[in-house]
Amino acid sequence: MPIHEKSLIRPENLKTHEELVIDGVDVSGHWSTFIESRVVSDYNEAMEDEIAALPGGENIHRCWQCGSCTNSCTVNAINPDFNPRYWIYLIRMGMEDELLRDKDIIWQCVSCNKCTYACPRDVFPEGVMKATAHWLERKGHTPKSPSMHFDEVFTEQVIKTGKIEESRTIRRFFSRTKQGLMQPWMIEMVKRLLRNLPVGLLTRMGLATFVAPKTRGWSSAAAAMQEYIDEQHEKQEQALSS
Amino acid sequence: MTKPILIVGGGPAGLAAAHSLGTVGRSSILVEKEDKLGGAPILSGYAKLVPSGEWAKDAIGGMVDRVEGDSNIKVLTGTTVTKFDGTPGNFTAEFSNGDNAQVEAAVLCSGFTHFDSINKPEWGFGTFPDVVTTTQVEQMISSGQGVRCPSDGRKPQRVAILLCVGSRDRQIGREWCSKICCTVSSNLAMEIREELPECHVYIYYMDIRTFGLYETKYYWRSQEEFKVKYIKARIAEVTSDGEKLIVKGEDTLVKRPITIPFDMVVHAIGMDPNVDNPQLADIFGVDLEEHGHIAAENRYGAMGHTSRPGVFVAGAATGPETIDDSIAQGHAAAMSVLSELHQPVDKSA
Ligand SMILES: Cc1cc2nc3c(=O)[nH]c(=O)nc-3n(C[C@H](O)[C@H](O)[C@H](O)COP(=O)(O)OP(=O)(O)OC[C@H]3O[C@@H](n4cnc5c(N)ncnc54)[C@H](O)[C@@H]3O)c2cc1C
Ligand code: SF4
Ligand code: SF4
Ligand code: SF4
Repeated sequence: MPIHEKSLIRPENLKTHEELVIDGVDVSGHWSTFIESRVVSDYNEAMEDEIAALPGGENIHRCWQCGSCTNSCTVNAINPDFNPRYWIYLIRMGMEDELLRDKDIIWQCVSCNKCTYACPRDVFPEGVMKATAHWLERKGHTPKSPSMHFDEVFTEQVIKTGKIEESRTIRRFFSRTKQGLMQPWMIEMVKRLLRNLPVGLLTRMGLATFVAPKTRGWSSAAAAMQEYIDEQHEKQEQALSS
Repeated sequence: MTKPILIVGGGPAGLAAAHSLGTVGRSSILVEKEDKLGGAPILSGYAKLVPSGEWAKDAIGGMVDRVEGDSNIKVLTGTTVTKFDGTPGNFTAEFSNGDNAQVEAAVLCSGFTHFDSINKPEWGFGTFPDVVTTTQVEQMISSGQGVRCPSDGRKPQRVAILLCVGSRDRQIGREWCSKICCTVSSNLAMEIREELPECHVYIYYMDIRTFGLYETKYYWRSQEEFKVKYIKARIAEVTSDGEKLIVKGEDTLVKRPITIPFDMVVHAIGMDPNVDNPQLADIFGVDLEEHGHIAAENRYGAMGHTSRPGVFVAGAATGPETIDDSIAQGHAAAMSVLSELHQPVDKSA
């Protein structure tokens, strides 16, 4: 039977045999099309715990599926497939395959937190979106997002020197995200800086760029921060691998 | 000397009514068909009660002790009423033990009957030993045995609780909501998670009716502290693959069929009208309401009136009720009896 509603069915669930004869009747091609049923046949109980172990995901188990988050969501208004309520459900019930279908849009959350204010159960859906995006990355389902690269470059620099030197942050960020440094807006910005900033300030900035001075007595603070970060990381790794 | 008041049924409602009358010095005869008092919580061995958290044997047992120690109350266990005639203030009751008594009024506190899950064969009760009822789980907990699969005594890893078994189901002629089973189920789910932290508990629901203050203490708490999972689905059937129970249905939130393996399936059974109600209606000359419970009259003027003056009703005899409400109704019916006895003429005129 040809299926007229084919457009409503996910292509991978449509099965067609090029050559098929049943009881002597040739049903090759679209005559043999059938829809594979997508039965949920088990719950993966680890998934909720894994995402709950990442920052922001802690309260995911509170969700009662009211839909206020989706309804208030900035991104959902533009893309109806962006549905925090639905993803939270998939995670809670451990429907991993279903979640992975949407892996390329989950990171699009703009952190506006409209959902956070709408949620009657204090689930903190924005946090859950962040935790889910991190989970996808750490499980290798999605590449590192630009914002993750930025966070890393930023943190590395703070830990190393106790200071942020913007030009270094930008250069490293561009190099890790494989973007060329000589972007027109960049060139324009540097030109205007050179033209308009007082010489004293320019010299100090130049010095900072090339010498990368450290905050005095920074090393013990850096060690404490690094220890904390490692500790958290270790905890999360454990949760993700159990 | 004033004649006693007849109370039928020694559950929470009957115990409360007898106690109330006793406190104002009125005598009563408490007729209970089973061989001990306490009603469903004692006879069926409930564990910790909702919402007090007290063990049924302490809470309701305490009410039983109080009644048994009250010289105003004559307790007849293992007894039923076979005949009841007369007018308010002047009734004659005959008992199954052959005795009879003159009484001024009667209060029917005859309660409910647990739904028998055999009547929903598609959900596997009676076919698979690990399909049990909330009453059985209550007993596993109250006996100290703990929650175990009846088939081989193992600790379940995954439990499904199916709500509305024997309630809200026109297929089997039961349209009412049994009111307490959502709350009782959330409570049991938390008890299971407490005893067996490794065991995951899923509740399959159509609506969650943990009404009033039970919302925080049961629905929210079971999710927030105990991570019980609620799934909106009415289960189509429970089968077995020889090893695990297979729960089939539709997860309505994701529009997907589900066939999930479980170690144990619990039916949250509802409260049926007492199977004795047709006889009770006959003997006491009172009307039943459309579902088969004893019909309570307009409750704004006074609590607990039936269609017959001098005969009152309280508790789950009127429809699904909680213990707290059954007790309140027992006390209220006692009050109605007393006030009616002081103006019997208007009523019978
Ligand atoms: C699994 C389950 C768990 C529950 N847990 C809770 C809970 O935690 N908290 C809560 O508030 N509620 C709970 N309930 C509801 C609770 O059982 C009822 O609210 C309560 O039992 C009603 O009290 P009752 O006295 O009206 O009736 P019953 O407890 O049913 O007592 C009626 C008494 O009358 C007797 N009787 C019946 N017919 C006759 C007759 N013809 N002649 C003489 N005697 C008769 C019976 O033997 C019985 O002793 C639960 C119900 C179920 C099904
Ligand atoms: S924070 Fe993200 S999920 Fe929440 S409303 Fe904004 S875009 Fe949507
Ligand atoms: S608003 Fe909160 S409770 Fe409602 S669906 Fe979203 S996360 Fe869940
Ligand atoms: S209280 Fe809950 S489980 Fe019980 S009948 Fe009502 S809705 Fe169903």
